[in-house]
Amino acid sequence: MDNNNPLSPHIQVYRWHISSLVSISHRITGIVNIFAITVICMWILSLMLGESSYDLTKLFLKSIFGKFTIICLTWSFSFQVLSEIRHLVMDLGYGFELKTTKVTGLLVIFGSIFFTILFYFLGRNFI
Amino acid sequence: MNFVTKKWLLMKISSALLIPLMIWFILNLVSMYDADYIEVVSFFTTLSSKILVSLTLIFAYFFSALSISEVFEDYIQDEKIKNAANKVLNIFAIIVPLITIIVIFNLS
Repeated sequence: MDNNNPLSPHIQVYRWHISSLVSISHRITGIVNIFAITVICMWILSLMLGESSYDLTKLFLKSIFGKFTIICLTWSFSFQVLSEIRHLVMDLGYGFELKTTKVTGLLVIFGSIFFTILFYFLGRNFI
Repeated sequence: MNFVTKKWLLMKISSALLIPLMIWFILNLVSMYDADYIEVVSFFTTLSSKILVSLTLIFAYFFSALSISEVFEDYIQDEKIKNAANKVLNIFAIIVPLITIIVIFNLS
């Protein structure tokens, strides 16, 4: 039997709103995050090869590009965590009003930037 | 309870469990990404780290497999391609964390 289920509409068809921006970013960061976690798994596996082969990984992570990657990942993970909390709250039946979805969407966007800074500073013992 | 409801419920449970684990994971990643080999290995040799990293990986891959299968549902119309993509995804979501957890528990 033919599957006539409609597919999701192409994202360029509609005008952008906060909720659509958060929704598509949630999907993109979800895929980026699992890819990043897989790279982190490879990093853990590389530990088995010994200290000398770890030098190259360390060289990359200590570089500006390594730092930038970690900051981007911190943002991506923070965004996903906040967006998941938003989803869980909505699953409980709250926050469906148009104004509330805009406010919570903005909270996810700006909150993820705030938490990136907070997690980075906490992790590096700056606070 | 039908399959789709079970899948949704499992997605929500794993998502809720992942929130504190991810916060712990981010903080530790930031604190030791540029640390020396000895420091990184000693982090992974403590029992609490072994358990928490393993749980993070299990729930992260479990949650991702369920979420990404939803993306396939939305964007892939051909049933055969969708099933194949889901199979590859599920195998990937089992093998990668499994190998990593075995390595973590064997690091000393």
